[in-house]
Amino acid sequence: MLTQTQSFVPLAAIKPGSIPTARDILLQYPVVSPAETNNEILHIFAETPHLIGLPVIEEGYAIGLINRNIFMDSIARPFHREIFGKKSCIAFMDKTPLVVEQSTSIQDLSFLVVDAGKKALTDGLIIVENGRYVGMGMGHDLVRVISNMQAQKNHIVMESIGYASVIQKSYLRSSRDDMASTLKDYFIHWEPRDVVGGDYYYFSKFDDGFFVAIIDCTGHGVPGAFMTLIMASTLDHVLTHEKRHNPAEVLSMMNRLVKVSLGQVSEKVESIIGEPVTADDEATSDDGMDAAFCWFDMKTNVLTYAGAKMPIFISQRGEDELITLDGDRKGVGYAGTPMDFVWENKEITLKKDDCIYITTDGIIDQIGGEKNIAYGKKRLRQLLQSCRHLPMIEQRNIVMDAFYTYQGEHFRRDDVTILGFRI
Amino acid sequence: MQDFYIPATAMSPEIDFRFSRHVLNIKGESYPENAAAFYNQVLSQLTLYLSSPEHKSIEVNVELKYFNSSSTKILLKLFEILNDAVHAGNSITLNWYHDEDDDTILEFGEDLHSDYERLNFNPIAISAA
Repeated sequence: MLTQTQSFVPLAAIKPGSIPTARDILLQYPVVSPAETNNEILHIFAETPHLIGLPVIEEGYAIGLINRNIFMDSIARPFHREIFGKKSCIAFMDKTPLVVEQSTSIQDLSFLVVDAGKKALTDGLIIVENGRYVGMGMGHDLVRVISNMQAQKNHIVMESIGYASVIQKSYLRSSRDDMASTLKDYFIHWEPRDVVGGDYYYFSKFDDGFFVAIIDCTGHGVPGAFMTLIMASTLDHVLTHEKRHNPAEVLSMMNRLVKVSLGQVSEKVESIIGEPVTADDEATSDDGMDAAFCWFDMKTNVLTYAGAKMPIFISQRGEDELITLDGDRKGVGYAGTPMDFVWENKEITLKKDDCIYITTDGIIDQIGGEKNIAYGKKRLRQLLQSCRHLPMIEQRNIVMDAFYTYQGEHFRRDDVTILGFRI
Repeated sequence: MQDFYIPATAMSPEIDFRFSRHVLNIKGESYPENAAAFYNQVLSQLTLYLSSPEHKSIEVNVELKYFNSSSTKILLKLFEILNDAVHAGNSITLNWYHDEDDDTILEFGEDLHSDYERLNFNPIAISAA
């Protein structure tokens, strides 16, 4: 006897923010009682081809589940119809189907289904309230709800990262504007790996020249972006009128400020090393930045550079190779960098038509090519020198095309930033 | 002390510390989401091994193709621990494998060499067969 007709609960009805439970996959399903015979079951299955199984209910409680395929196979065996046809339908039912309370969360339910093995996914499961039967749940509905939950969470995370990107880009706007109004021939390519990232650039024009910085904070994605905002506001704070001529001093000041504000003073860090791991150790941050800071004096054409693990390249007309100015080999703000570390200024007098390039390690360290090795400084230097005569924006296209080709199918390892400008 | 082994994943290197033979191998790429969590056990195993008083002759083979900045910091710490172990009376050879065309990895090795002078640094270029 069919006591209930089926009606789908629309899955889209799951409210955002509510925790989905077994109720969300509940189907009203036909049921049978143990009084019904196998002949009657055969009739029901024949009449309703979409039924996967039939729950067997006795006084409101589920005592088993008849799987269509198993039942049909069993009843079709020689003489079975004659022997079992008029007997109770419990003969071929599964006596231990998966039974769950309707308040069970989808997450718990998915673990139960996995533990129950293949049958809960194919036969479905029985949903009860305070032990009493309320309906069935099907494997594919469970998968659908889980996918929806996943998609919904993804959507929320991506929306939030998308907005974080708006904030990060707006922080770059004044640098972009100053660059455009100061440099005649230049490009800046800023490409975070994960929508937002730990790479950052800074450009500020003054009456007598400009200050430019390329920054590579630890990490990428959201934590990297956090770091860029800390660094950007620290730099804004430190880069006063009198300090702008002294990039090394600006690096030192930032080092002190960042170490103090993130609590990255050395005593704390030494305890991480060599000691057994504790939860506290992992929470200690050790973040900072690699950077190239430059001051260019427009009257004297002198470029003053100070670098924290980030070189700059200078290309001069008629030369075979780029000039590389290497920075100091200490990053800014890290626990391992002493509080009083002093960076060095390097000065170089530039000529008209000299090209300056500054890049984070994203291009150089990218794995790819035929040999699956890093792109490398050498390759980048050769490429830049070979196209130095072209307008900067064309150089960017050449460099990035070569980079994308080199990367090929490989996973992007890091954020990518490269700046080029011609004097 | 028992040997220590972690298989490689796409984001983390193979760690094959054969303490019984005094051979330590690190091979692969390193950009785990949480480098501290991955390397803490590696460093604590290494520290434990080096804490025994006997003077050892240790071979360290490193063949890394890529490591991100947070891995770099911890790798430097690892080499510092090794460097200190030389001071404590051990002898350590660091075989630094790099592709013959991989200037990035070679340069990193050379920097290591100048920072940790007590390690017997031995760069080995791998040429394509």
